[in-house]
Amino acid sequence: MEEFDQVEILLVEDNPLDAELTMRGLKNQKLANKITWVKDGEEALDYVFKRGTYADRTDPDPRLILLDLKMPRVGGIEVTRTLKNDERTRRIPIVIMTSSKEETDIVDSYNLGANSYIVKPLDFESLAEVARQAGFYWLAINRSAT
Amino acid sequence: MIPLHTSIHRKMLVVVLLTAAFALALTGAAMLYYDLRSYRQASITELGAQAGIVGLAATPAIEFQDPGSAEGYLQSLRGQPRITAAAIFAANGSRFATYVAEGAGPVEFPRIPGNDGHSVQDGELELYRRIVSDREILGTVYILAKYDLVGRLWSYLGIVGASMVLSLLLAYLVSRRMQRSVTAPILEIARVARKVMDQRDFTSRALKSSNDEIGVLVDAFNGMLSEIDQVIRERGKAESALMESEARLLTLNAELEQRVAARTAQLESANKDLEGFSYSVSHDLRAPIRAVGGFAALLGEDHEAELSEEARRKVAIIRNEAARMGRLIDDLLAFSRLGRRALEPAELDMADMARNVYERLNHADSVRPVEFRLGSMPQARGDRSLFEQVWVNLLSNARKFSSKHDKPVIEVGGISAGEENVYFVRDNGAGFDPRYQAKLFGVFQRLHRDEDFPGTGVGLALVHRIVTRHGGRVWADGKPGQGATFHFSLPKEAPDGGI
Repeated sequence: MEEFDQVEILLVEDNPLDAELTMRGLKNQKLANKITWVKDGEEALDYVFKRGTYADRTDPDPRLILLDLKMPRVGGIEVTRTLKNDERTRRIPIVIMTSSKEETDIVDSYNLGANSYIVKPLDFESLAEVARQAGFYWLAINRSAT
Repeated sequence: MIPLHTSIHRKMLVVVLLTAAFALALTGAAMLYYDLRSYRQASITELGAQAGIVGLAATPAIEFQDPGSAEGYLQSLRGQPRITAAAIFAANGSRFATYVAEGAGPVEFPRIPGNDGHSVQDGELELYRRIVSDREILGTVYILAKYDLVGRLWSYLGIVGASMVLSLLLAYLVSRRMQRSVTAPILEIARVARKVMDQRDFTSRALKSSNDEIGVLVDAFNGMLSEIDQVIRERGKAESALMESEARLLTLNAELEQRVAARTAQLESANKDLEGFSYSVSHDLRAPIRAVGGFAALLGEDHEAELSEEARRKVAIIRNEAARMGRLIDDLLAFSRLGRRALEPAELDMADMARNVYERLNHADSVRPVEFRLGSMPQARGDRSLFEQVWVNLLSNARKFSSKHDKPVIEVGGISAGEENVYFVRDNGAGFDPRYQAKLFGVFQRLHRDEDFPGTGVGLALVHRIVTRHGGRVWADGKPGQGATFHFSLPKEAPDGGI
């Protein structure tokens, strides 16, 4: 379980109740040692690229992004597109969180390179499974990189 | 023969002239025969008389052997131009005196006289007449005369010919005048007929100029024309009425199309509103429910020690109801999405689909053994994922409602029936009260309590909507406690544009 401790998670969610529930779920799965919560897509991009209020960020870069689709200002689709088109960030796994299974946006996000999706209300078990896969993914990347 | 296209006028003329010519020729021939016959008879009689007179006059000269006076008597024949030669023979047969007409060529007299009589030869008539006095034959008179039958024939023919030409001319003139009264009305009918044909003018009428058969013909012709005229007028009236009603129909159609277009626009805008509504339901309505359920769960987990048994029960109810609300919203969304989705028709092996779906359901939840009977089924044409939904809903319904039976049996099959294929799913489960049959396929309509058989009441409504969109029908039979049979039909020929 140690590798999960190292997973830095960025949670992008505009609804504070959903955010609290998500973080609580991750905590239940002992995955919450380092969760950063930002409230919309623009803030998420600022955080990842160390811009604006996050220009002086010293935290380690996120190794998993949990991304809501429908958010004010910059939505989840836009964030996915930006991150997956940037060489520095395209390897960060992105998990889309949607309100409905039938969301047509899911197709778009997969096409843009999203790695997974989970449906709200958050099913804590599948959330943990996704986080675990993301961890393995990162380990594999790190190993092949070294 | 007279050519067929010759006018009736000319035909009648030819008939009249031919008849006249034929009659004249026949009459001429009869008269000619009679004339030639009487000419011969008259010639012989006349020459015989001449010979008798000459013989009588010459009797004394013969008796006194005086040829000079006998020739004198013969000279009296000069008044008869037809007589070319004459002679008197003595009783002993010697030629006693001769006469030859002036201008006549050399004449060969017979050496001895013939018997009493005459003969015709080479256009000449020879005649012998005995001179008898007191029963004693004194001699014979011989006369040779021109017998010009050919000349007579020619002149006769000339006369007949001339009179024929004259009569024909006369007949021509008379018939022309006469014909006018016969052919003119016929020609009038022909003229009107041609005018009618050329100008399609059925109002023209032929003039009636006589009361004979032609008058009847004219009346009949005019009667026919007026009848045709009336028929045409009526047809014209009917046609214009038809055109009028067609025009009215077109106007109505155009109005109808306009109305349909307007309604379609309204519907489309309503549909768009509904889409917007669905979107906000899916995102905004679900968020509070999610929070209610989620925080109820957190309350239960984080404050378990502080809660009494009763408080924990109530928290559990909140969690369950929030979850149920979430399911209702999901089902409602699925139902509304169905109306917007375009159908993708494909050939469907219904038996195969039913078996696969059943195995999947069985695999997911095989609590108790169920006898599953799969009969043969006709192929269908429809949207694959939607019909998978139909089978899932019908089969999971059958499983659900037969789950309390000791030996649950689910039977699936289909038949071809006329214009459509009919499929059914039968179970021996709880069944339903037929009085509420109409409610079966309504959205959120339930005939069982949630404690008995949980559900949202959307499954059969979805089945109904999917089958209806494919042009089919859905119905059900059942009795409480005796199972239920759900049928759906699909047209064999997919309706145009429906799929």
